[in-house]
Amino acid sequence: MRKMQGAALAALLALAAGTAQAESTVRFWYHFDNPDNPVADLVAKFEAANPGITVEAENIPWNSYYDNLYTAIAGGNAPDAAMVKLFAQPRLVEMGALEPIDDRVAGWDGKADLQDDLLKINGGPDGKQYYLPVQYVVSYLYYRADLFAEAGLQPPKTCEDFAKAAKALTRDTNGDGQPDIWGFGFRGGKGGYDHWGPFVLSAGAKFEKGGLTSQPVVAANTWLVDLYRNQKLFPPSAPNDGFQEIIAAFQQGRTAMTIHHIGSSAGMVKALGDKVSAVPVPECNGGRWTSYGDESLAVLSSAEDKDAAWKWIAFLASGDANVEFNKATGQLPVTKSGAANWTLHEKRFVDATVQSLPFAHSLPAVSQTADFVNTVWPAAMQRALTGEITPEQMMQEIEQLYAP
Amino acid sequence: MSMTLATAQQAPVRGKARTRMLPYVLLSPAVLVTLLIVFLPMLQALVLSLHDFVLFRPTQMPFAGLGNFAKALADPVFWTSLQHTALWVGITVPAQLLLGLVTALLLNQRFWWRPLARAVVIIPWALPSVVIALMWRWIYDPNAGVLNDVLVRLGMLQGAFPWLADPGTSLYAIILTLTWQGFPFFAVMILAGLQAVPRDLYEAAAIDGATPWQQFWRITLPSIAGVIATAALLRLIWVANSIDVIFVMTGGGPGYATHTLPLYAFIKARTNLDFGYGSALAVIFTLLLAGFVLVYLRRTTRAID
Repeated sequence: MRKMQGAALAALLALAAGTAQAESTVRFWYHFDNPDNPVADLVAKFEAANPGITVEAENIPWNSYYDNLYTAIAGGNAPDAAMVKLFAQPRLVEMGALEPIDDRVAGWDGKADLQDDLLKINGGPDGKQYYLPVQYVVSYLYYRADLFAEAGLQPPKTCEDFAKAAKALTRDTNGDGQPDIWGFGFRGGKGGYDHWGPFVLSAGAKFEKGGLTSQPVVAANTWLVDLYRNQKLFPPSAPNDGFQEIIAAFQQGRTAMTIHHIGSSAGMVKALGDKVSAVPVPECNGGRWTSYGDESLAVLSSAEDKDAAWKWIAFLASGDANVEFNKATGQLPVTKSGAANWTLHEKRFVDATVQSLPFAHSLPAVSQTADFVNTVWPAAMQRALTGEITPEQMMQEIEQLYAP
Repeated sequence: MSMTLATAQQAPVRGKARTRMLPYVLLSPAVLVTLLIVFLPMLQALVLSLHDFVLFRPTQMPFAGLGNFAKALADPVFWTSLQHTALWVGITVPAQLLLGLVTALLLNQRFWWRPLARAVVIIPWALPSVVIALMWRWIYDPNAGVLNDVLVRLGMLQGAFPWLADPGTSLYAIILTLTWQGFPFFAVMILAGLQAVPRDLYEAAAIDGATPWQQFWRITLPSIAGVIATAALLRLIWVANSIDVIFVMTGGGPGYATHTLPLYAFIKARTNLDFGYGSALAVIFTLLLAGFVLVYLRRTTRAID
């Protein structure tokens, strides 16, 4: 008994010594799909260069990342710094959860190395700067080069080409009368709006009264839903399919096209080698829209030591650390120096990304966008795909959210 | 001397008071904890349900009266979810009960590997819900799932069917999963009940010429009716509240096809951050369940008396 007391006391002392040594702690939240992530190494590097600061980095599962973040902020247990996306910014600003970093960025020697315009794209809704970019991607169209060549097809440049190719590539390969390969792997579950945008938002959609229910936009949505319901060019599981399902189906050769960004290219090449290639999403209805996928870092207004939190995020957004970070996420570095020596991705995927930049958009920077992404779009899309509501009713539901 | 006498006389009185207080003193920590972790949040939910409270506007919390409740009654998703909840409970609990009863009767027979069988039956009940949900998601998978493969090979299906992505089958597919998960509970409860039935009743019945069916109907069933009723009530409350398996398997989709009322309340509060409306849904559901809870409480208190 006495021995145990002694041990407990020793442990307590050690704990006290530990906290006494670190003058401040930065609690950092991030989300990585990649299981072997380098954040521990980055933390070690940062702590060695900044004695007195301890970083507690926590990997939060993506599916509930924002649920957790908002709840933690409201509950007074927010992290000091966090990885954040543009769509969440209006809501976070409305909550008063973010710390403006204009002055810190202005006096920061890493600023000159940031890619042009990235800070501007990430600017806050009230004109202040809250977000420091850390990586970016643009969604493009993955296609099976071998299947296209076999069928004598070119990668689609327009929606018409796309539908034609999807039709030609939806095939029964084992003779049981049922298709085993589908033309396009459509993501009807959470996060699928970047599959839907290129075909529907391209028709001149605006997130305002009448802007989503105009005739061309409704026609575009009807056309897309028809590809699944009547022409059966997407796998039957499409309404529930999420990231893992569409990537796995494409890698296993069950779909001939899908939409994602450069973050999955390493896995695609590993599974399919030269058989996979990429082009920008097709031009549809006279317009072109693809999703700009951003990821930034922010200091939260509740952080105890904001200087320490800023130092940590600035570290991640500059130099070698940013390159290491992006090697793990498989996305693109935000620094000019990092981009210049970038060798991680095959050229064809970098090209598809760069060619897509001119028509890459993010969703409107308003509070409703979080609900659009998380619940309204998936529920409406799934019901349209399964025929419970018409494509027009789906557009009305989305417009109702943005312009009630 | 007189003083010592006085104290001696008073002591038993004080002691009696103390004895009378003792049970309450001993109970108070448990009562206090229950009040804090059960009743306080319930009260808080009730208060929230009367307010317009959206988590990302923490400073604004206008009083809404019964506004959230009126909104729920006018919300088509609420009615869909309520209907699904009725199906969810109405099919799952009887199915679990029947399967559990059959299992218990089988396990009550004598065969040499009975101990092993009894242990194996527990497995679905012992597995974490998330594991079960992921496992069944794979079983139902239209591309790689074993269910479609078996049905296609048997010629019962033309091609793979998306069980969880079709609004006509998704709820029933999850109900099947939950039935599989929950039947061991009934099996174990009923088995315990069966073993308490005196053997001589069966012997007497056999001598009187009762068939096995008559023995089951006249002896077994009446003897375990109490156990069945208690287990079914308890399970009904659990199943009605359980959202973990649905959440992992479909997240409530496709569309609203697998929304039950507790899941809808959870999504409203946790994903849409609308805690006022979410709490109102939860309060409505609590009131609906309260009837069953009362019946259960009356049964258990009667058993104690």
